[in-house]
Order: sequence, then structure tokens, then C-alpha cells
Amino acid sequence: MRRSGRRRVEPLVAAVVAAAVVAVPLSGSGFWLYNLTVVSLYATPVVGLNLLLGLAGQVSFAQTTFMAIGGYGTAILTTRFGVDPWLAMAAAAVLSLAASVVVGLPLLRLRGHYLALATFALALGTTSFAAGATTLTNGTIGISGVPPLALGGLSSASPVVAYAVSWAACGLATVASAVLAGSHVGRAWRALATRQDVAATLGIRVTRYKLLAFAIAALMASVAGSLYVEFTTFVGPDLYDIGTVINLFIMLFVGGRGSVVGPLLGSAVVILGPQLIAGLEQYQNLVFFLLLLALLLLRPAGLLGRIRDPAPLTAILPVWLLRRRLPAR
Amino acid sequence: MESGTAGAGDLRVTGLTKRFGGVVAAAEVSLAVSPAGVHGLIGPNGAGKSTILGLISGFLRPDAGRIEFAGRDLARLPPSAIARLGVARTFQQAAPLAGMTTLENVMVGMHARYRHGVLSVLGRLPGLRREEHEVRRAARAALADFGLAAEAEADAADLTFGKLRFLEVARAVAMRPRILLLDEPAAGLNRVETERLSGLVRRLRTDGVGVLLVDHDVSFVFSLCDQVTVMNYGRVIASGPPAEIYRDPAVREAYLGPREPGAEPAR
Repeated sequence: MRRSGRRRVEPLVAAVVAAAVVAVPLSGSGFWLYNLTVVSLYATPVVGLNLLLGLAGQVSFAQTTFMAIGGYGTAILTTRFGVDPWLAMAAAAVLSLAASVVVGLPLLRLRGHYLALATFALALGTTSFAAGATTLTNGTIGISGVPPLALGGLSSASPVVAYAVSWAACGLATVASAVLAGSHVGRAWRALATRQDVAATLGIRVTRYKLLAFAIAALMASVAGSLYVEFTTFVGPDLYDIGTVINLFIMLFVGGRGSVVGPLLGSAVVILGPQLIAGLEQYQNLVFFLLLLALLLLRPAGLLGRIRDPAPLTAILPVWLLRRRLPAR
Repeated sequence: MESGTAGAGDLRVTGLTKRFGGVVAAAEVSLAVSPAGVHGLIGPNGAGKSTILGLISGFLRPDAGRIEFAGRDLARLPPSAIARLGVARTFQQAAPLAGMTTLENVMVGMHARYRHGVLSVLGRLPGLRREEHEVRRAARAALADFGLAAEAEADAADLTFGKLRFLEVARAVAMRPRILLLDEPAAGLNRVETERLSGLVRRLRTDGVGVLLVDHDVSFVFSLCDQVTVMNYGRVIASGPPAEIYRDPAVREAYLGPREPGAEPAR
């Protein structure tokens, strides 16, 4: 009988993460301030992906598309039309929500791999569109000079303010995901992830719940995408390439699907890990890959994972091939 | 042949036909399930019993015929809408939601009871918290009823075979259905468990639930049902009260076996 220790471990991890997030600005280290801001801005879309894949079991590669809508939407509205950055972020978020319904509704009605395939095409199309639609996006050159957010008398041009705003967004997303996961909505997601037919038999409107997860994930991705662009003052197609999509998945799998704090840990590992072993120079990527491999072999469900059977998506990681040869734990 | 008096709460199946390619899985099947009644559906393997359950619960679309309940034609509705109208089903192969506890499985069965949506969840409204508390309490009571109290926090997939069957029924009953379709609930149960299941089905009848009981165990079906419909090769070959069915020569030939000398079924 399997009773996970997760419930006891996870609040502790959450407390440690929260303490670290508060402590870092006090240390005054520019390196940590910048990198942890980036960690939070990638963790936020992963929190959304976790609701979608970790709980509801839906494989979607569309998170970068909604990050791009958030990023480009904000950049275009602020630099071309002089819209206030907060308002631009909100407008881009509404656009992302609308897009998620338009894209999600037909795809989520179907079972199987349609969502994965179609959103993968969407992810590929997003970068090409961003690079190709030069009148709108300024092509591969991208858009620079995106104005920072104003917060009372403060500006997000200050790294501490950017840090605070991005972690507030990430914290909000994480708390929202925890509350949802623990509610009847979360149970409905987990039920349809396991057996869609059973969930429907129990009166759960399956398509509606999938769409709900898809839209919430899109909202989180869009806001994080906007913040990233406002803090770095630049947007370009490379931000949303296929490597970013894969990174989001690795963050989720390393952190642990279905856990609440997992996305934050996963994002921290993927963003900070390579930098902490930067001294290895050309071996940096290889060593980091091997470390990830070792981690997923030791903890197939991720650092804080609670999923019993790995999602079919594990197939995207070469790690999966190795793991399957091992006896079941 | 009379099949109970027609009432407003009846589930009425009329002329239901389903073909799979050239195979006729169900041919003009008609039957009615009344509230507070237990209707048995028996027949040899491949007779079309599971097809009928699939059609009523919305997993299959009929080629012809109607499934009327509460003034609606269920044949046009998706499974979740049928469930929300009050027609619940269990699966022949117990279908626990793995990775969720036994208690959570039953709580998922109570999903339609929640009147609060996602915004109330995010707003942590006190009304929702009361609702959650109420559902949790009801789910624990349901587990106790079905002898699953000790397994409340265990992963549902880790339950023993018999317990899984009871969870399957408990979860469907948690939906407070008006009509309950049970697909071979007694298959593989031992004598004690079967007796317990019989008691639960009788109590459902007392509570006014209409039960459609599909099973291979003839004595189990005959001991519980007011009405029995017998199918063979997709057709209804007999229907009526159990005693009548038991004497029907066509039924004995098709289902009970022609050479079998009949002892009265256990009561």
C-alpha cells in the first residue's frame, strides 16, 4: 500500500523555498537576484503546465505560444501604441485566454495524441511566425526598448523590484494551483487523467475541465511572458523556440509532476544547474545532462513527484528509454 | 408480456438497435426499469447485454431506437450529461481511479453535488468549504456502508478484488442515481461478499433507486429481481417475472442449457 511521504515533505520544501526567496534580495547578490528572477519567470508557465499535464494528464506544447502572446503583445502595445505596461500585460493575457479557448476547444474534445501533435505544430509555428511576420514582430531582430513596469514610485528597471514582482506572480500562481489541486476541480482533473470514460460516467464534463486547465495554463504562461519582456526590455523569436518548450517539460519532470512546489524546484535546477557547473566549460552541457539523467533514474517521478505511472510524454526524454529497462520500483 | 406499470421515473428503452459492421449486437431491444425495482438482464456471452449498458450510458450511439428518461432521449446525450440526469453505471472490469485514495474515488462520484465553480475555489469561499466538508463526511459514511472504511486512505488501485468491486458500486451510489446500471457486480465475489452485495442492492430498491442488473450468476439475479429480460444473439427472447422466466423453455434452451435438469434457483 502506497502512502506517499509527499504530504509531509512538500510543506517543508515550500517553507524553505519561500525563506530563500525572501532571503536572497537581502544578500544583495546581483547574480542570485537576476537568476532567481529568471527561475520564477520560467517556473510560472511550468506551474500551469503542471495543472495541465501533471494533474489533468493533457500533453500540450503550447505554453511557449502563450508566453509569446504575452511577450510580443506587451512589447507591441507598449512600444508602438504607448499603452501602459500593466494594461498591455492584461490585454495580452485576455488575448491568450481567448486564443486558448479557440485552440483548445476543438482539440480537447478529442482523446489521444491530437492535442500533443497539434500543439507541437503550434510551438514550431510560433517561432517561425515570430521570425517571419516582420511588420508585426520585427522578425529575427526582435523588439527592444520595452518599457519597465511602474509600481508606485518604483520601477521594474530595478532588479529588486523585478525580482519582487516576478516572485509575487509566481507565488500567486503556485498558491492558486495548490488550492485548485486540493479541490473538487483538482480531483476532476486527476480523475479524467486516469480514466476519461470513468470520469464522464461520474458526471464530470470532461472537455470543459480540460479546457479550464488549458486556459489557466495559458494565462500563467502569458503573464510570465509579459513580465520577462518588461524586465529584459527585449523580445525576439529565440525566446520561444523549441528548446524553451523542452526546457519547460524538463523542469516539470525534474520537479515532479502533480506536486505543488515541484515546478519551482525544476525551474531552479534547469536555470541554475548549468551555471553552477560553468567552470567545466565545454563539458558543462554534457555533465548537466548526465546529472539530470541520474536524477530521473533515481527519482523517476521527479524530486517531489507523486504520479504513479509516468505520463506517455516521458517518451520525449531519452531518459525514459533507460528507465524502462530497470525493474519497477 | 407486462414489464411493470409505466411511470414518470422509468427508464424506457424502445426498439434499441446497434450494429457493429455486419454484426447486430442489439436488435430492437425494449425494456423498462422502474424506480424501486430491480430489473435483471441476462443472457449468454455475446448476447448484447454490455452493448445495452453502453447504449444507455452514452458510450455507444444506437442505430435505431429510443432511450427515454426524465423526458429526455438519452441516445442524444454525452455520458456526463446522462450521469448528471441520474443514470449511473458501474464497469464490468472494476475501474478504480489509480493514484487517488478510496475516499477520493467516492468523492469524485459526488462531483455533481458541488454547486461552486473554479472562481469560488480560487476565492476560497466559505460556502465551498462547507460543501467540501459535507461531501467528505458523506463519502466517509458511504465507505463505512460498503465495508471500506479501513481502506479510506489507501490508493484505490491497491484494493483487493472484492473491495474493488464494492468501491465500484459505492462510487456509483455516491452519485445518488435514480437509475443504477450494474455490470456483473457479483462476478468473482465469494459467497459472503455476494450476500453483502445482495443486501446493498435490496437497500437501493428500498431507497427508490431503479436497478438494471446484468450478471452471469443466474441465482443471484433471480433472487434479487422483480423483472428479468433474457437476451440471445442481440434479441430479447423472454421477459417477465423470474419464476416465469425460469420455466420458459426457450430460455432454458438458449441460456441455462438444454440438457441441464433444473433445480429451482436459490432464493
